[in-house]
Amino acid sequence: MLSRVREMRERKGWSQGELAERLEVSRQTINAIETGKYDPSLPLAFRIARLFGKPIETIFLPDGE
Amino acid sequence: MTINKGAARFLVAGTLLAGCAALLPHVSPWPVPDFVLGLLYGVAAGCVLGALIRWRLPEPCDTATPALRRRYLREFLPAMALYVIALLFSIWLLKRLDHVALRAVIALLPVPPVAFAVRAMMRYIRDADELQRRIEVEALAIATACVSLGYLAAGLLQTAKVIDVPASVAMIWVFPLVCLVYGLAKAAVSRRYA
Repeated sequence: MLSRVREMRERKGWSQGELAERLEVSRQTINAIETGKYDPSLPLAFRIARLFGKPIETIFLPDGE
Repeated sequence: MTINKGAARFLVAGTLLAGCAALLPHVSPWPVPDFVLGLLYGVAAGCVLGALIRWRLPEPCDTATPALRRRYLREFLPAMALYVIALLFSIWLLKRLDHVALRAVIALLPVPPVAFAVRAMMRYIRDADELQRRIEVEALAIATACVSLGYLAAGLLQTAKVIDVPASVAMIWVFPLVCLVYGLAKAAVSRRYA
């Protein structure tokens, strides 16, 4: 799965640590999501979408799209 | 290549314990039991292995919050200390008792502290960050699969009379082996997310 988490985080001017704190996960989890090494759980994906104020499908995209 | 703080602590503890074990027979006015020396050398070897794992540990291997890590250590370390005391006491007492029912109770004394240590591990996994939880569960699955497979192989070899391991030794080593492989598997699994 591809994610636009890095792009959206940078647009907000947040560090990985700041985003992790807002989502109550570790910085390493954010890094793994941004580098595509870890797909977040559905509840976490919804929290990310809510935090950025975007629909979930605009942040997480299936491979190849 | 620099060594991190966690690994350095393990290394210092291991070196000190090995030093104690080496010096104790020369400086002690009383004969030191082999069991005590074995325990010291064993814990020292465990610390050195811990240092090695800690040193080579990828970053996502331990993402727990400081509060969660503190709670885990607060629950795990006293349980393991109690286990060592219960084990020493039980070995000492078993040499002096003949009554079977009483021997059973005394022999099982070290089990409750280990159960508390397992509870601490389970609470740590349950409350960990979701990536950390995935790493822990995957490492546990690998550890149980590897140890089970090893025991199956050893069982077949023993049935074929190729090896001859006493049953008590084989049974006692199940838990430490699962813990050891769990630690190694955790380091390997977390590399995927680094």
